[in-house]
Amino acid sequence: MKKPPAPSPSRRGFLNWFLGLGVIGWLGSILYPVIRYLSPQQGSSAGGPVKLSGEELQQLQRRLFTIVRSGTDRILVFEDGSQQVRALAAKCTHEGCTVQFVPGEAVVWCACHNGRFDLDGRVLSGPPPRPLPRYLVKREGDGSVSVALEKA
Amino acid sequence: MNSETPEKGLYGWLERRYHLSSLVHFLRHKEVPLGAHSALWYYLGGTTLFFLTIQIASGVLLLGYYQPGESTSYESIRFITTKVPFGWLVRSAHCWSAHLMIISLVVHMFSTMIIKAYRPPRELTWVTGFVLFALALCFGFSGYLLPWNELAFFATSVGTDSVKSVPILGQWMLEVLRGGPDVTIQTLYRFFALHVAVLPMAIVAIVGLHLIFIQRQGMAPPLGHLKSIRSMRFFPDFAMRDLLLWLICLIGLTTLAFLLPYGPGIPGMDWELGKKANPLAPAYPGIKPEWYFLWVYQLLKEFPPHVFRMEGPQAALLVVTVLLGVWALVPWLDRNAAKGRLSPAFTDLAVAALLFIGYLTLMAWDIGGHQTGNAQPDAQAVARTTGLLTIAVGVATTAARILINRHRWFVFSGAALVHVALHGLFGLPYLTAGVIAFWLMVAVLAALLIHSRLQARRAQLVQGGPP
Repeated sequence: MKKPPAPSPSRRGFLNWFLGLGVIGWLGSILYPVIRYLSPQQGSSAGGPVKLSGEELQQLQRRLFTIVRSGTDRILVFEDGSQQVRALAAKCTHEGCTVQFVPGEAVVWCACHNGRFDLDGRVLSGPPPRPLPRYLVKREGDGSVSVALEKA
Repeated sequence: MNSETPEKGLYGWLERRYHLSSLVHFLRHKEVPLGAHSALWYYLGGTTLFFLTIQIASGVLLLGYYQPGESTSYESIRFITTKVPFGWLVRSAHCWSAHLMIISLVVHMFSTMIIKAYRPPRELTWVTGFVLFALALCFGFSGYLLPWNELAFFATSVGTDSVKSVPILGQWMLEVLRGGPDVTIQTLYRFFALHVAVLPMAIVAIVGLHLIFIQRQGMAPPLGHLKSIRSMRFFPDFAMRDLLLWLICLIGLTTLAFLLPYGPGIPGMDWELGKKANPLAPAYPGIKPEWYFLWVYQLLKEFPPHVFRMEGPQAALLVVTVLLGVWALVPWLDRNAAKGRLSPAFTDLAVAALLFIGYLTLMAWDIGGHQTGNAQPDAQAVARTTGLLTIAVGVATTAARILINRHRWFVFSGAALVHVALHGLFGLPYLTAGVIAFWLMVAVLAALLIHSRLQARRAQLVQGGPP
């Protein structure tokens, strides 16, 4: 009996390749909108210069530090021993916790993993890998405090 | 069932449609092997499943009142615990059973490791179990944020920040997870969806797979006994014991939920609502994650700012990933158990893992750090006290293993104890102590390998006789 001719391997290979490509395209057409949907609408954004509100000024007076928001940044504004106002990024460079000013020890401290910074944001001890970025800060004659957009 | 006398009633009606007799036959003949180790280890999967059921039931009840939202999440949890009749009990039961489920799961995993139940052909049962462990941790982590309190906010900030350590895609993954660059209410919406929809579906699917594997292959007989010496009928003997243990678990859970509705007060096992999340408030002193994440928390604290060319957190999380990867691949790494031989090295690996995690957890609890009266715990005093505790437990365990189990292989647990001693007692930095202990371990392993090769060679020469 005469055997039917075997399908050409190149034809089968081409069909498999074509089918595989179709599956990848099908998966891509589902995943792409899902990924775009889940990607945040807004990324990091720096806000404009910040003027401390009355409540924030009160907080600054009472406990010598306050934390203000500018865009998606959080800024630590504090008054050092010589009553000079300073500003540093409030987000710890280690794992993103919010830092605080400790007036008694004249350090900026992160309670999460015990990272310590000096008043210029340099790492004194603990695990933070980078210094805290500094901000320009100015106290006006009327007592108001504003933090500039540019980092110092 | 006898096919000549068809069953009557409901059973007969079902039997004619679904042929239940094969299932009944399977249950009647299913047996649980008994042998060298305690049968208690076989019940832990069941208790974990029991606590998962309680989680689902209490979670559904909480959903009746919980409202995710900036001005509703915290408020609705407060409403549940203060105004809804027995709301405090439902939340307490949900939190307690979450912790008890993780405890049961961890003990189940370690007992499986020690009795080598992962060995072929049960590799995938181990892997699905490992995936279930990871899912349980994800459940804990995502659920932690939902009350939208201070603790939730910082725990999620730190936990999600770790994701940015992933090369190239890290920052993008972080923003997708958080729904933005920072932890906001958008993060809570995403975690809520994960906690009540995605993770439950995933865990039910993987639990199903895990159980199918166990039903198809049966429970692992004790190592060294291909056919176990004794066995117990699954139904009703084992099933009734299982049921009794579940009843005991339920009594224990309700007692704890009634007596300690906000947890035992141990750091990492405490669910007081506290203050509402405020992104502009600093992290408060003594803030800690859940107890099962404490070892990772402490590792992040102990790693220096830079390790080789990596930042400290990145290196610490790489170490955690490698260790978890090794743990997941144990069935393929343990060649002795695969061949049905005793495998002392992997028993010792489990003990070493417990010592390693135990030391970090004890340090995270700041045990012995407040003796000086300072507000901040003294890190060196903590390392010394917890080091001594870990070494005492390690030495006692080793003595028990030598005397009771006749173990003779202690390279991994020895390295873990050397690490603890160098850091806790001699004051070396944690990473330096770890590197020294690691290379000592490698040297001892190399020496053991050379020794066994030489012995094999000598045996060959003796067998072959003089030339």
